[in-house]
Amino acid sequence: MDITPTLKAIESSGFATWIRDSLYAFPLIESFHVIGLTLTFGTIAIVDLRLLGVASAHRPFTKVAEVLKWTWVAFGLAVLTGALMFITNASVYFSNAQFRWKMLLIALSGLNMFVFDRISGRNVRQWDNDRSAPPSGKLAAVLSLILWISVIFLGRWIGFTTTGNQTPDVEINLDDLFR
Amino acid sequence: MNDFAQWLAGTQLSLAIQIHLWIIPTVQSIHIVCIGIVLASVFMIALRVFGWSGRDQTLQQTTRRFCPWLWAALVVLLVTGALMVIGEPVRELMSLSFWLKMSLILIGIVIAIPFQLALSRNGRNWEDDLMNRWTTKSLAILTLLVWCSIVVLGRLIAYDHVWGNWSLRPIV
Repeated sequence: MDITPTLKAIESSGFATWIRDSLYAFPLIESFHVIGLTLTFGTIAIVDLRLLGVASAHRPFTKVAEVLKWTWVAFGLAVLTGALMFITNASVYFSNAQFRWKMLLIALSGLNMFVFDRISGRNVRQWDNDRSAPPSGKLAAVLSLILWISVIFLGRWIGFTTTGNQTPDVEINLDDLFR
Repeated sequence: MNDFAQWLAGTQLSLAIQIHLWIIPTVQSIHIVCIGIVLASVFMIALRVFGWSGRDQTLQQTTRRFCPWLWAALVVLLVTGALMVIGEPVRELMSLSFWLKMSLILIGIVIAIPFQLALSRNGRNWEDDLMNRWTTKSLAILTLLVWCSIVVLGRLIAYDHVWGNWSLRPIV
């Protein structure tokens, strides 16, 4: 099935056109995307560092992990604002390599969380008060940190590899140099 | 300021950053990772003030947990931010968002230091009393808003046109 017509239809929808044409919509949506993604990453890192015994080691893991309900709120904001940015230039983002990798890595970190719940989460009572998690939990934490930091890097790279709403900053500087 | 930005753009370090196209995205990404640490830390302290998270910990324990990370991340933000200014002086220095952002960072730090000092000096009873005051709660909300605005203004540096006539950007 060819998805291109669907992507084109999304791009030319009234809502997507409105975001694209507005001077303020895209920059503000992108700003809230940054707030959503930084809080997602930051709160996940709190849990990962607890698993590794690097920070909050004296607190029970389950107490520290309570923060994850806020992670979901932040992630919801990031997904919503991300979707709004996506529809303004759907076909370009869809075929962008960085975008595809980013989506893959987000899916992998979801899988990582699921596997963690199934393996280390099952006997959490046994290690809840330990300074760090058993090896499988530590592995999940390291994977989570690597995946989310990579997601941030890939996300930033999307802005430099799509010609959507972002003008390449480098050109501005070079112009100024030779003026 | 424009003259200074032009001069800075011609320095060796700036040219090096401009020539290697991977540097700016990399530095920006590191910047965002550290924003994550700062924002989450401020968020956790604010949640504790409201009693919405980490009630098994005192406010002092919560700030002890997050403040070292917050300050360390701020230092990395300062370094990566400086690299961005050196690499793209006109983009950064000739933008209203940048200067508004710098002002808010000053305000954010001016709020954070006395708060942290007062907490580390005083005892548990003082802390409970502190958190029951509406001024403390408003200060927590204000701090969170200040740091969120810093993030928004940071992103808006790329879009200084949103300020219309107030934009400092030279007309290209």
